Amino acid sequence: MVSTQTTASADSAVSRGWQLPPNAKPILVAIAIAILVFFLAYLRTDGSSLILTQALVTGLMAGGVYGLVALGLTLIFGVLHVINFAQGALVTLGMYVTYVVANDLGWNPYLTLFISIPLLFAFGALVQKIMINRSMGEEHANTLLLTLALGLLIENALLLTFGGNPQSVRTGQETVYNIFGAVATQSRLIAFGGALILALLLFFMLQRTSIGTAIRAVASNPTGARLVGVNTSRIYVITFAIGAACAGAAGTLVAPIVSITPVAGEVFNITAFVIVVLGGLGKVLGALFGGLIVGLAEQFGGILFPDQSNLLGVFIVFVLILFLRPQGLFSSNS
Amino acid sequence: MRTSQLAVGLAGLALVLAACSSGTDTENDAAGETATESAEEASTEEAPAESIDVIKIGSIHPLTGGLAGDGLQMDAGAKLAADDINAAGGIMCLDGAQLEILSADSTGTPEVGQSEAERLIQEGAIALVGPYQSAVASNMATVAERNGVPFVIDVAVSDDILDQGYTNTFRIQPNASAMGSQGALFLKELTDAEGIEVSKIAMLHEQSAFGTSVYEAFNKAAAGYGWTVEPVISYDAFGVTDLTTEMTTVKAAKPDVIVVTGYYGDGVLATEAISAVNPGAKLIYGIAQGAFDNPSYPGDVAGAGEGFFNVNYHLDVTNPTTLDIANRFETSYGEPMKTSATHSYEAVRVIANALEQSCSGDPIALRDAIAATDLESILATVGNIQFDETGENVNGSPIVMQVQDDAVVQVYPANIAEADPRFP
Amino acid sequence: MADKLIQTIPSPIKSRRFFDGNMIALLIIIMVAIPVPLLLQAGQESVAIRIVIFAILGLSWNIMSGFGGMFSFGHAAYFGLGAYTSSILLVNFGISPWIGMAAGMVVAAIYGVLVGWLCFRYKLKGTYFALATFAFAEMLRILVQSAQAVNASVGYNVPLIKGSSWWYMQFPAGSSNYFWLGLILLAGCLLATILFARSKTGKFAVAIREDEGAASSIGIPVLRYKLTVISISAAMGAVAGVFYTQFYLFIDPDLAFGAYRSIEAILIPVVGGIGTIWGPLVGSLLLAPLNDITAAILRNPPPFLDFMQGQSGLDVMLYAVLIIVVILFLPKGVFGTIKDKVKRR
Repeated sequence: MVSTQTTASADSAVSRGWQLPPNAKPILVAIAIAILVFFLAYLRTDGSSLILTQALVTGLMAGGVYGLVALGLTLIFGVLHVINFAQGALVTLGMYVTYVVANDLGWNPYLTLFISIPLLFAFGALVQKIMINRSMGEEHANTLLLTLALGLLIENALLLTFGGNPQSVRTGQETVYNIFGAVATQSRLIAFGGALILALLLFFMLQRTSIGTAIRAVASNPTGARLVGVNTSRIYVITFAIGAACAGAAGTLVAPIVSITPVAGEVFNITAFVIVVLGGLGKVLGALFGGLIVGLAEQFGGILFPDQSNLLGVFIVFVLILFLRPQGLFSSNS
Repeated sequence: MRTSQLAVGLAGLALVLAACSSGTDTENDAAGETATESAEEASTEEAPAESIDVIKIGSIHPLTGGLAGDGLQMDAGAKLAADDINAAGGIMCLDGAQLEILSADSTGTPEVGQSEAERLIQEGAIALVGPYQSAVASNMATVAERNGVPFVIDVAVSDDILDQGYTNTFRIQPNASAMGSQGALFLKELTDAEGIEVSKIAMLHEQSAFGTSVYEAFNKAAAGYGWTVEPVISYDAFGVTDLTTEMTTVKAAKPDVIVVTGYYGDGVLATEAISAVNPGAKLIYGIAQGAFDNPSYPGDVAGAGEGFFNVNYHLDVTNPTTLDIANRFETSYGEPMKTSATHSYEAVRVIANALEQSCSGDPIALRDAIAATDLESILATVGNIQFDETGENVNGSPIVMQVQDDAVVQVYPANIAEADPRFP
Repeated sequence: MADKLIQTIPSPIKSRRFFDGNMIALLIIIMVAIPVPLLLQAGQESVAIRIVIFAILGLSWNIMSGFGGMFSFGHAAYFGLGAYTSSILLVNFGISPWIGMAAGMVVAAIYGVLVGWLCFRYKLKGTYFALATFAFAEMLRILVQSAQAVNASVGYNVPLIKGSSWWYMQFPAGSSNYFWLGLILLAGCLLATILFARSKTGKFAVAIREDEGAASSIGIPVLRYKLTVISISAAMGAVAGVFYTQFYLFIDPDLAFGAYRSIEAILIPVVGGIGTIWGPLVGSLLLAPLNDITAAILRNPPPFLDFMQGQSGLDVMLYAVLIIVVILFLPKGVFGTIKDKVKRR
């Protein structure tokens, strides 16, 4: 009985998000807060515009990748009502696919997208079909714990295969680009650009293709979708697969930046949840913008609270959004 | 009513089953390990020394989880030490008794570390080595204290572990404060000798107990040398994905030296940020930085770490014995031996040495013998391994290394230097 | 009219007498458990105590999320507040952990009510409520981690005392008293759960879980009962935290407030059976020793598993697979599924 109640409320939240007309007031409040934060950060850095520009650039760069990971999560949640706790582990899986293909076959790390995306897509489909599907519509906690266990399984399988030492797919000296005085390395720019392009591609796929339409239909009204002939269980499989593919793509894009370990993707897990709520559960563009906001919150939080974890800023934003606008900042873009 | 009656039955059954299964476990243990029994009896009944033919040492490290890369190496290091000692004839004064390493996985969590420590003591371990993480070490130290079994910490950096007045716990690695203050001292000596003027130092450190205590000790020493440490930026090593903004803040302060303290992944991020921002400091100086002296680091950052210093505990590559051990380790294990693994090797050596001194399998005698240790070290330190009354290795000292031509070399103090330090 | 309707709400468990089946079961469990430490070795006893600690944590989660239907993903906060309150009082002021426990329960309950009130004030439900509890627990962890006043990330070591003291909840290593102390606390929490399930509060909690609107329309003060349920759950979570600290003698921000603690709190009742009195105990009996069992099997594997010996990561994989299997094939938890099967007959 718990399950019906909780899913029902989640349901209504999602459908509410999908239908409500845009409400401008909280967005104005958010903008006001953002300006205030920027001003405080300016004071905090003794008026160094360089540091602020750098925080902006770094925040946006990181935010792009966060957004891509969260995009997968928000799709899965919006359509399947499953909180996928394995998302971080799937990112790690993407990193290791890149590591193997780039190191053993000598590919350019970014070209491995053509392997990591289909591979993670297939893996996601398989996981949904044999695991998640059986447990859908049951207790809320069940799918959460299933995906959690899946994450543990992936991480430890990677540990078993590759050992715990950090691996790297760096190729050579980084080219550094100057953006209004701030700096960004080439690999971060590629990760950012790649994440943005993939997210937009996915967005248009959801908007323009018949599969995309079916996914959106199942998200907003599964019963209705079934009545008009949509094969919902197939859509569930495809959606989970797309979500996993997003994680895999993000893993490939960040592989040249991070030290690859079996738990390297964990960092993306928590931020992804925050982003999903920020953007509105099930909102694709919302996830992308939410990613950018979280990236910025991390950076400016770091400036405002220098002795705290960078996650503190993220959680403050999270709680504010939860209370002020639980349906997400971007609920009007479906 | 029926459900509740069922509940009675089930719950009772479950408990009985639990009791039974633990009972059978005990039997299995006893049946499977007759050798243990004799050792156990020997230690508990204070039997004459000659009845001991196997001496068990518990080795507890994170064999799974995020730190498994180090934990597995450390476990292998402890085993290699036991093999070497056994091959050389075992513990002579106990008629060549052989060492056996009982390995356990702390999974990186203190609860498991504690119950595994208790289990190994139960299975006859007369000493423990481990555990790499400070939180696990704190728990294992209480187990050692309460069971009267000596515990030799190979690696675990937090000062706090030995501040509790425990008598059974010893540490080979220099603690966080020692690394911070020694790091400051070495920096002073190096820059004075080279005539580099230092007045302002920026510090970037990870924010857990480890990074914070290194910072505090460094800051204290720095004040004594007339340096200002500013800005001080801390970050969460497990949540950070970029340090560029932090490095920009550092650049804005125009420091002479940038001190970096942290683990591997964040060390790589700091390197990336330094090469992108180009903060213009005279020296990049790591203190207990987990990346800057790692053999794979120069390659992982594609040369961006060239010239970086690091003050850290380290195996002594100028010592032929150490090199021999490291080479044999690499042959059998398949990876170059990490410093952490040499510490585990060293911890087992300390215990074996103390066994020779105490000539008994009694943990209390062993504890006293360890406290009186005076053993030449395979690590790059300033002297023999000797413990003070709190259990710290008084001669445990970090050394200075530098990335030179894509390799990590020891550069200071002079007695262990492979090459001269290079300055820009 | 409304009052009459309220009268008709069924209790989660029916009992006409004080000593009903559940009470008898509790007594039997206590009787069976008392001699357990005498049969166990030291290493196994600490596993038995882990069972007790996580059973209490699971019971706590079960009150709020099982009976109360408010999905908590931040139980680490209650656990951690209990652990920290008692450690601070003990280490800094030498105050007995019993008093620390009472204080910790109060602190956790206040925190729970505050966060709960905020969430309900802003009408957070389901997933949003869960994520909010998670965010607050994580913020606590982050704040404690850098607060010098509470030892920041170093945490607290409970000072060792000579000999044995019930007042200071400390006994020599391997003492059976630890288990018995835990048993007393566990029995107390089980008793509290039984009484809760029979009480008006428990009755209303379930009614609110089933249909909040209907409960409110027949005159149940929804907010008040929700917050009461949270405070009971929080106080129980604090008990687990205090006992944990007294047994392991060490606590730090990650151990106290880490996300893994919140997950444990969920995992145990889910595997045992959500919203049942005995589910968390069964779940803890199965899960708490699981790691040790898989690790033991892989340490000395049976012949056909020989190739697995010493492979790092396998024990956790096995643990994960077992959780997956239980959730897939026994979705109502072990106890919940069996209970259902028996009922249907």
